[in-house]
This record gives sequence, C-alpha cells and structure tokens, in this order.
Amino acid sequence: MRVQVRSADNVTIVDCAGEIDLYSSTRLREALLKALRSGIPSVLVNMEEVTYIDSSGIATLVEGLQLSQQTKTRLGLYGLRNNARSVLELARLHKVFNIFQHEQEALEKIPSTRPFEGP
Amino acid sequence: MKITISSEPRLLHILRGVVRWRAEESGFLSSDVESLALAIDEAVSNVIRHTYLSRPDGKVSLEIRTFSDRLEFVLEDSGPKVKREDIRPRSLDEVRPGGLGTLFINCFIDESSYEGECVEGNRLRMVKYLPGRVASCDEGTGQERG
Repeated sequence: MRVQVRSADNVTIVDCAGEIDLYSSTRLREALLKALRSGIPSVLVNMEEVTYIDSSGIATLVEGLQLSQQTKTRLGLYGLRNNARSVLELARLHKVFNIFQHEQEALEKIPSTRPFEGP
Repeated sequence: MKITISSEPRLLHILRGVVRWRAEESGFLSSDVESLALAIDEAVSNVIRHTYLSRPDGKVSLEIRTFSDRLEFVLEDSGPKVKREDIRPRSLDEVRPGGLGTLFINCFIDESSYEGECVEGNRLRMVKYLPGRVASCDEGTGQERG
C-alpha cells in the first residue's frame, strides 16, 4: 500500500493506493492523523486506487473522524470503489462521513460541509 | 490445502491471495470472492491481535477444503482458548474504531463454529456455500473435491 500527502489551498489530500489491512493501515493512520493535527481546515482521503480495505482500515478512518471532531477539521473521502463503499455501508458508517464521487467534487464541496459533531 | 504462517500482519495478503484463488476456482462470483477474502482476513487478524496479542512468533494455519457445494475454511492457532462469549460485533449505533471484524465475518460467512476437540489452541471452522446452494445443501454432504 502506498500513502502520499499533498496540499492545495486550505486542503490536505491523503492519496492511498493498494490494499489497506492490519499491516498497512498504520501508514494511513500516521499520515491521516498528522494531517488532521496540522491545523489545515480540510482533509480529504483519496481512495480511488484503494483495492481492498478491512476493519482496521475502517477503524483508522473512524479514528480520523473522531480526531477531526476535536480539531474542528472537515474530513472527507472520495473515489471509493464498490468494495470500500460496501463495507462502510455494512458498518453503517457511510452516513457519518462526507463522501464524494471524485476529487473535483470533493474540493468544491468540502469547504461548505460542517466538521463532524458526533453521531 | 493447508497454509501455515507466522502471526505477522505483513503476511495477511498471502492468505487473501490464496482465498481469492480458491474461491474463484470454485465458481464464486467476484463480489463473493472479495467478501470471502475479507472475512478470512478478519478472522486471521483477530487471531493475531487478540489471541497472540500482536506477537509475531505465533503460528496460524488455514486449511481450505473444497466441496461441490461449498468451501470450508479451518483456522487453527496455538494460543489461549477463546471464550465464545467474548466474540461479538459491536453495536452499529456507535461510531468508534474497532469491533467490525466480527461483523464482517458474520455477514460474509454462512456458518462458523469453534471445534472443541482441539486440545491446545483454537480451531475455527467457517463455511461458505456457492450461490444458490444454501437452501439445497443436504446437511453438508457435498462431495469433497480435494
């Protein structure tokens, strides 16, 4: 799994690629939590190239969501493939995340969303 | 076929690969193949995290038995006995990390049971029927294909 971080105006994008499992989710966790603690208003996770995600990957995203509540950061996901979307729906988490189709939509809409305020 | 790995998370992808290959060969739909890979991955991850407490020196064995109507996965470890009452998915009303692995196993596996004859460690048997075979299966008497 590969994780890269890039920044645009007021947005940090965490690009993920490959399979997110118990082993590789630590890399996502490190990058995501660092971005959320950086003070930037919005963080997006690009999942276009994520081919697999397990419960540890989902747990990492939820941990990020909880941190975003503390840091008042907007957090969004985009580019979810069917399998990632399915596991989020199964866990009933698809309604608590800001989920966008693609990067352009995410960049346009994330500034107008509200930071997570709890379930 | 039976594969044994050490309890290292970096090796999980190997088991996923074998499960996908076996499930594809058995005729499962691609969506079921991925669900099966996830379920078995979660079961092995549970062993690594909860039975071996993330120590990398444990052993985990996965046996895959192929039948005409189903695949059976037998997961064995040599860690402390698992208490069944401790294994349950978390409430879906909560938004917190963790507790989802058991949910995914329960959703994607048709039958699962701990086999009691294992003197040491744990033996978890998980069964997935081919599409359309659950209702018609005759108490699991499908012929083993090796």
